[in-house]
Amino acid sequence: MKKKSSVEAIIDSRYHFREADKLAKQAGIEAQEGGCGVTGFACSIPVSGRHIFEPSVQMHNRGNGKGGGLAAVGLTPAQLGVDKNTLDNDFLLQVAILDETVVPEMEARFIRPHFRVAHEAFLDTIDDYRDIPGLDVKPPAVKRYFVRVKPEVLASFQKERGLEMLTYEKTEEEFIFQNTYQLNLALYSALGEKRAFVLSHGKNMMILKIVGYAEKVAQYYKLENFNSHIWIAHQRYPTKGRVWHPGGAHPFIGMNEALVHNGDFANYYSVSDYLRQRNIYPLFLTDTEVSVHVFDLLNRVYGYPLEYIIEALAPTGEMDFDHLPEDKQRIYRQIQTAHIHGSPDGPWFFIIARNDLQKKQFQLIGITDTAMLRPQVFALQKGEIEIGLVCSEKQAIDATLESLAKEDPRFGTVADHYWNARGGSYTDGGAFIFNLKESAAGKLSLTCADKFGKPVDVPAGQTPHNSSAKLQTVGASHKEHIKDILKNLTENNIEQIFAGLKEGLASWDYSEFSYFLDQLVTVAEKDELKMPAVSLLSLLLDRRYPTGNMRRRSVLQLISEALDSIFRKIPGIDENSKSVFRRIDFNTRPSLRGPKGPEQVLVTDAGKFQPEGEDAFSRIVADAYALGWKQFICFGQRGQRFLGCGLGADTKGVRIDSFGSSGDYLASGIDGLELHVHGNAQDQLGQIMKAGKLVVHGDVGQTFMYGAKGGEVYVLGNAAGRPLINAVGKPRVVINGTALDYLAESFMAGDPFNGGGFIVLNGLRFDNNGKAVPLDIPYPGSNLFSLASGGAIFVRDPHQSIVPEQLNGGQIFPFNQRAWKLILPYLKENERLFGITIDELLTVNGKKLTPDQVYRTIGAVKLSVLSGSAALAMNEEWEEED
Amino acid sequence: MAINTETQKLPEIKPLKSRFRNALSKYRVTITKSCNNCGLCVTLCPYGVYKAGSKKPRVIAEHLCLGFPCKEKEFYCVNRCPEKAIQLTLNPAFEILGDKRWSADLLASAWHMAETGEIPYQGLNYKTGNSGGGFDKLRFIFPKEKGPDLPDEEVSTAIELNRSGDSRPSVTIQVPFYFGGMSFGSVSIVTMLSRVKAAAALQTFCCTGEGGYPEELIPYDDHIITQIATGLFGVREETIKRVRIVEFKYAQGAKPGLGGHLLGDKVTARVASMREAVAGTALFSPFPFHSVYSVEDHKKHVDWIKETNYRALVSVKVSTPSDVDMVAVGSYYAGAHIVQLDGSYGGTGAAPDIAKKNIAMPLEYAVPKVHKFLSEEGIRDKVTIIASGGIRSAYDMAKAIALGADGVCLGTADLVALECIRCHHCESGRGCARGIATTDEELTKLMELEWATQRIINMYLVWRRQLIAILKRLGMKSVTELVGRFDVIGHLDYIKQEDLEGELEL
Repeated sequence: MKKKSSVEAIIDSRYHFREADKLAKQAGIEAQEGGCGVTGFACSIPVSGRHIFEPSVQMHNRGNGKGGGLAAVGLTPAQLGVDKNTLDNDFLLQVAILDETVVPEMEARFIRPHFRVAHEAFLDTIDDYRDIPGLDVKPPAVKRYFVRVKPEVLASFQKERGLEMLTYEKTEEEFIFQNTYQLNLALYSALGEKRAFVLSHGKNMMILKIVGYAEKVAQYYKLENFNSHIWIAHQRYPTKGRVWHPGGAHPFIGMNEALVHNGDFANYYSVSDYLRQRNIYPLFLTDTEVSVHVFDLLNRVYGYPLEYIIEALAPTGEMDFDHLPEDKQRIYRQIQTAHIHGSPDGPWFFIIARNDLQKKQFQLIGITDTAMLRPQVFALQKGEIEIGLVCSEKQAIDATLESLAKEDPRFGTVADHYWNARGGSYTDGGAFIFNLKESAAGKLSLTCADKFGKPVDVPAGQTPHNSSAKLQTVGASHKEHIKDILKNLTENNIEQIFAGLKEGLASWDYSEFSYFLDQLVTVAEKDELKMPAVSLLSLLLDRRYPTGNMRRRSVLQLISEALDSIFRKIPGIDENSKSVFRRIDFNTRPSLRGPKGPEQVLVTDAGKFQPEGEDAFSRIVADAYALGWKQFICFGQRGQRFLGCGLGADTKGVRIDSFGSSGDYLASGIDGLELHVHGNAQDQLGQIMKAGKLVVHGDVGQTFMYGAKGGEVYVLGNAAGRPLINAVGKPRVVINGTALDYLAESFMAGDPFNGGGFIVLNGLRFDNNGKAVPLDIPYPGSNLFSLASGGAIFVRDPHQSIVPEQLNGGQIFPFNQRAWKLILPYLKENERLFGITIDELLTVNGKKLTPDQVYRTIGAVKLSVLSGSAALAMNEEWEEED
Repeated sequence: MAINTETQKLPEIKPLKSRFRNALSKYRVTITKSCNNCGLCVTLCPYGVYKAGSKKPRVIAEHLCLGFPCKEKEFYCVNRCPEKAIQLTLNPAFEILGDKRWSADLLASAWHMAETGEIPYQGLNYKTGNSGGGFDKLRFIFPKEKGPDLPDEEVSTAIELNRSGDSRPSVTIQVPFYFGGMSFGSVSIVTMLSRVKAAAALQTFCCTGEGGYPEELIPYDDHIITQIATGLFGVREETIKRVRIVEFKYAQGAKPGLGGHLLGDKVTARVASMREAVAGTALFSPFPFHSVYSVEDHKKHVDWIKETNYRALVSVKVSTPSDVDMVAVGSYYAGAHIVQLDGSYGGTGAAPDIAKKNIAMPLEYAVPKVHKFLSEEGIRDKVTIIASGGIRSAYDMAKAIALGADGVCLGTADLVALECIRCHHCESGRGCARGIATTDEELTKLMELEWATQRIINMYLVWRRQLIAILKRLGMKSVTELVGRFDVIGHLDYIKQEDLEGELEL
């Protein structure tokens, strides 16, 4: 007889799981579905669970308070009542007790006979769950055990299940896994009585979940002072109404990993079948549970390295596959052939927190689906402390950093680097991994790499600013220099002053830079110098320039603080003042009135305003506009949505400047107004935009300008997936970076030379010195201008790296003088806004070329599937003859 | 919840003839050569089938002929004709008219109601079609003893659309139906305007569909639902702010998962300019909203509209997948005031047959499923459920309400009132030979606006009268009492008259 492989052996040893399948069939139940918001971070020092609150609270609108959960990996032994050795080596079994009478039976069947228990305790909770507002269902009591399997039990298990070829460690893990499955099957499962279930059983990690918003978990189980290296959290949005137990909430476990998921796959049944064929039968009936089972199967049973697991989950497709090296193609093809049925299809984004025992490291992993249908942002901040973050929204990352920085000044409020993954791609594989590994005794270091192991790091040789460190007094010559710079400050010479600053700033240190900012804040106390000071600070915030030994994120943080302090000093709407500026916030909003006398600029503080609904921040702007205000500065934003929406038709002459973390749907539907986003923007910007101007000094998120009809738009950085889909009319857009995929699908913007729309795609990025450099390829995706019937894309592609295979229906035409004449005014404005000069754009490898050597035109071809019927055309000819 | 039960003045019925010389009819009346032009038939016929002529009478309205049942009458012209010159036969054209769902009888009934404002008397089945399932197998079970005979004015057909209890205004419609979205582009401007004007007269709403908001509609803003569909064609902040109800179209029951597709031929210069696209090129509305791939995206989407128009109600139109109950509850929690369940029976000729007949869940399953689920969740009275997709008659409407909907949304029936013959060629060439679903300028001239408006009004006033009759027989004073009354309805496969206490209406 052929000897079984360990894969077969493990799968076979789970034969008794089939019991679950019978029960499921009897019960005839179906999977639940819902949406979510997810967040996670990995930090080189253990930090309090409180910090996972902030992003969770900010993403309430991604959940409905019907399920939330947290997972922590890399815990602190003292807080668990065990020593480090036990924490590292024992399995931390955490059981949710829904019915307290079940404990004796549960222990008698699933704990005592099998395990040597080093420590056990009920988790401490607050006395009455009703003390936490918004918590309607009592969270389960949770009992925690530190266990090892008794050697004799394991020996007989190994024999009985035919697992002799496995190592002791692997067998023990399999025992734990199977014991948990049995416990859940007996005492929980979506199928039967719900009395108890295992929350987590991995080493040095734990999970808690409740019916309620995620942050209530931390409050109820008193995690405010519970420290861990990795935290992930999940807001669930189950569509089923009344939920009384948290079994369906995320995170879900495999073995040593916890997974949270945002999305909803289309092939839940297919993935379940794939698992069923491998003797795994879902018990909780959510797609998250099956996802983590697939992960565990590939990891522990098949023994795949992480890269291959990611490939199995999110297979590389289409043109991206062709770009892979040949040996990789061979392996990936095998993986896809074997596991495609276990690959979740549809919108999903996973965040996984994992204790990688083999490599002795903790991991935080974010993986997106191949079509990037869910929002996702990664961020990295390094300094004395290193932290990697991954979230559904950028503003949630900023909220986490802000919360951490408030407690520990070694954190900054701005990350060094924010980016998106490109799903199923050859460029980054649609996944990034943060690794925490011991670099010296007791010290963990963070590294970040994509699926292929290509590292992401911060610029070397620059020190971030520690805001608690005492600033040094600056020299008299510096003071003199600053005085010199600021003495002629007016609205008209800001570019000039900035140009001068840019030259010298790289040689400054933080003390000198802070001194400059302080002086500027002082200058701004004069009403007439306020706007020039704000404009200068905006330029410093928006533009890229060398920062010498200073880390750019620290520079940005200091500038933002200076701006905020200028804004906060502006007289309130209900105060007596002769200022041109007025400030309004959540508390003073009932005093909103039209502008009086010299008043021109309404400075709106977004703090405390809701992201949507009756108290939405966007309403204050729309309402103020109705009362006659035309110029707005919005600051203190934390993801409030819909800024610029609701002002109505023909808003030419209105200008909004947005600082802080703006939210989704910004500038959607605008018709004439001008909106400047200082920094990165979020998802769904400029939906159905009609006219006006939108300037984003950073990246934009998903489905940017979906169904737009017009407007002039400038983006300094990248656009994420599906920008300008179904746009019509005359939108004119300059994107200086690139787009993840599906740029201008079904673009219908007429004839660009006759008033129609177009996109200029420059394909640039900025190096650490703030210099614009071309990307390897201006557009890496395989869906460019698909099924488009009008408009054009003018792409900067001097090396002709875009190939016809990337276009589904479009065609590459030569770039002519007429096209250059068309785009030149927009490039000039682009230069004015972002400082990317036309000279720079036309210079390739140090040589200045002509526009037709640098740019290429992608235009629409008349597709037979899109055009009218031939018969009708014949009719018309005939009619004419008639 | 206070419902405005006071019936505001509804429009009058004004009889309007067919716009074609020979209306399609069930019976054929011919006068042979032996006629001596005595004129007796002209004076006898109470239905106005004949008109006096110089050589012999002319048959001018055979569609109004009572047909074979007339035999019993003393005015039966065939028998009374002294020369036996009149022949009455079934019209062979009638046999090939319509289909199982929209039977020839239903079509002719709709035409009759739109023309005369009366319930048909020609032996036409105006209650059900011949599909052998669905609403055609459902019947009301009326109580045997007659209730008190109320005057029609005391029975309310009004429904409230904002049941959420939020701060947005109450919107009451006087009839438990509104008109569904048909875009400018898929139908002519005359068709679109006539539906809107009829909606305004009936004090209800008409949806724009996805294709823009032509200026001609502006006077009727208060009776318009502006639709936001996946192509976002013609949707502007201005159009969102203009109306009292904004509808998100996620899917159509007739073609779930297929999006929209307007063939190049129909994209005339005007259609293209309305949608700001390229003339002569097919226009796609993608199957999903590219910005909505989950329920929290959906909520954000709804919030966006609510922030753009503080007063608008939000309606969410979805098709009926097997988990339609989850979809409905999710829409409610995302803040929708109205959930429209679009079942599988609807669709004009533009929806592919394979989709119409095979994908979505039949409405009579979906509506009670949602009604029960929302009731169990305790939120049924916070949301308005509108059923749509294949509502062909007042009886279908009443059945949908008894199955758990608050009201219905209509589309094809309006077009039939305009003399659509269901030829299924909406998407070929320039579209409709009858000038309804077309954008061709010449074909559009086939129909006059006033005529079309009044035809729609006439038909629906008859529907309303029929609904009131049903409510009265059930002893109800308001259509809201009928919602979810599974006990007054039965399926012919599962009930027999002898087992029932009530009277099964066949």
